[in-house]
Amino acid sequence: MAAAVGVSLALAGCGPAPGDPSRQVGPNPYLPPIHQYLLPPMHVAKVVGWNGATPIVPAGLKVQAFATGLANPRSLYVLPNGDVLVVETGGPPGPVSRPKELVMNLVEKMAHSRTKPGQRILLFRDTKGDGVPDQKSVFIDHLNSPFGVVLVGNDLYVANTDAVLRYPYATGQTQITDPGVKLCDLPGGPIDHHWTKSLTASPDGSELYAGVGSNSNITENGIQAEVGRASIWQIDRTTGAHREYATGLRNPNGLQFEPQTQVLWAVINERDELGPDLVPDYLTSVKDGAFYGWPYSYYGQHLDPRVQPQRPDLVAKAIAPDYALSSHVAPLGLVFYSGSNLPEHYRGGAFVGEHGSWDRAVLNGYKVVYIPFADGRPSGPPEDVVTGFLVDGDQARGRPVALAVDGKGALLIADDTGNSVWRVSAAH
Amino acid sequence: MASATPRSTLTLGGRPLHAMLVPIPIMCFAGTLITDIVYWQTAAMLWADMSDWLLLAGLIVSVIAVPAGLIDFLGDARIRKLRAAWIHAIGNVTAIILSIFNCLIHTRDAYTSVVPSGLILSALVVVILLVTGWNGWALVYRHGVGVRQTEQP
Repeated sequence: MAAAVGVSLALAGCGPAPGDPSRQVGPNPYLPPIHQYLLPPMHVAKVVGWNGATPIVPAGLKVQAFATGLANPRSLYVLPNGDVLVVETGGPPGPVSRPKELVMNLVEKMAHSRTKPGQRILLFRDTKGDGVPDQKSVFIDHLNSPFGVVLVGNDLYVANTDAVLRYPYATGQTQITDPGVKLCDLPGGPIDHHWTKSLTASPDGSELYAGVGSNSNITENGIQAEVGRASIWQIDRTTGAHREYATGLRNPNGLQFEPQTQVLWAVINERDELGPDLVPDYLTSVKDGAFYGWPYSYYGQHLDPRVQPQRPDLVAKAIAPDYALSSHVAPLGLVFYSGSNLPEHYRGGAFVGEHGSWDRAVLNGYKVVYIPFADGRPSGPPEDVVTGFLVDGDQARGRPVALAVDGKGALLIADDTGNSVWRVSAAH
Repeated sequence: MASATPRSTLTLGGRPLHAMLVPIPIMCFAGTLITDIVYWQTAAMLWADMSDWLLLAGLIVSVIAVPAGLIDFLGDARIRKLRAAWIHAIGNVTAIILSIFNCLIHTRDAYTSVVPSGLILSALVVVILLVTGWNGWALVYRHGVGVRQTEQP
């Protein structure tokens, strides 16, 4: 019987081999047939830390540690005066409703650093102008799984996992003691499967946009748990009144307005357990009132057999996203570059931070890529810019999350597993 | 004093351990079929979750119940002379292997964790258990396996 179990477990991992990710980038990614598993592939990169090493960048760029020894930094925001806000955060523990969740909680633990997240925002100031901060303060403390931050005028908005808060901010402030005011609730616990609430503001400052991820992989917590989720919310920043701006987006993050066309873009984490190359994560413009498929379908009308009952009416109007990034790269950061510090090659396009895969035999992601834009749309394939997060094939020194551009035009990268923030600028 | 009927080797206070424990996985796997059918018809997630727990509980208790039965099977040659014992043993081992596959299929997310493969396996296991159960009852009530013979007053 032991032999039978052994054989069956060996068979359980059977499935299609991971393909070449370059087949799955751009507007028309190759989409293989669906494969479902006895045991889905799982490959967690062992966390080994940086130990003094730094990420790798191509010639023409240099990378330095902006801050180290942090407590799970995941998000960034640069204030107009150049002060950098770093959000130390982590998600709430989810309830266990089936045995699989016991296993998944263990897997999650293995994939991240052991550091307890700070649940606060730190402020870093560089008074000497050398790119490395020399002042640090606790800007706002005692937050609840914060992620998105945006300043509009003198109002600083912070998206906790369960609410958008507003704080008064004066230029030069290093600490906010005001308790803040709740602008509106966001869908939070008790499950809160995808808990990062990305936040940005419309160019005219009248509306906020919040990314609200789904409460499951593919409705396995029940469809009721998904009310208000898998969507981007548009929130009136004075009244807190809100509506779902776009839906069917499984886990939208990195909400950013493209500078030239003033169109909202985001990076989306698509679903798991349909194969190593399904479903590709993507970067897309977000159209008002559009439905992007989750959970019923993906990339337009490709049906997901795991969802019952189906909704053919919604699937019929599902639109395909603009630009695939390949499968399971876990994009969490997006920033458009309109600065002039970095070489010409990197101007006008978008940087995407790929947190990296856990459910693919061959790891994917674990890097920051650059996608050129022209006339407000992607104009070429992604190219690796910041790598070295993986060593020895499958060990993680760090994992990039959110991105930002600092006051001097350098690219900042929040690295939660490496507990650092990296700064990429032009090499001199 | 040799027993007149085949004896159970692994006993607790004279009571066969296998017989004591085996109703638990039987009911767990029977329960799984019921919750799978209800999930298939309603797509309400609580039923699929219940199937997951029942399958796991059945397999965990089987870790003791099945080897206990195997010990009895090997412990008295008279048992191995009974055809019912072979059907019971091979059938139940098959049911456990299928239940391990079933448990893995049930780890998928949402509808395809049950429909169609999970449901088919659950039904197959129950059919096997009906056959092995029929033979198990024969072992005890027709052949007296594990039953102590006492003198009538």
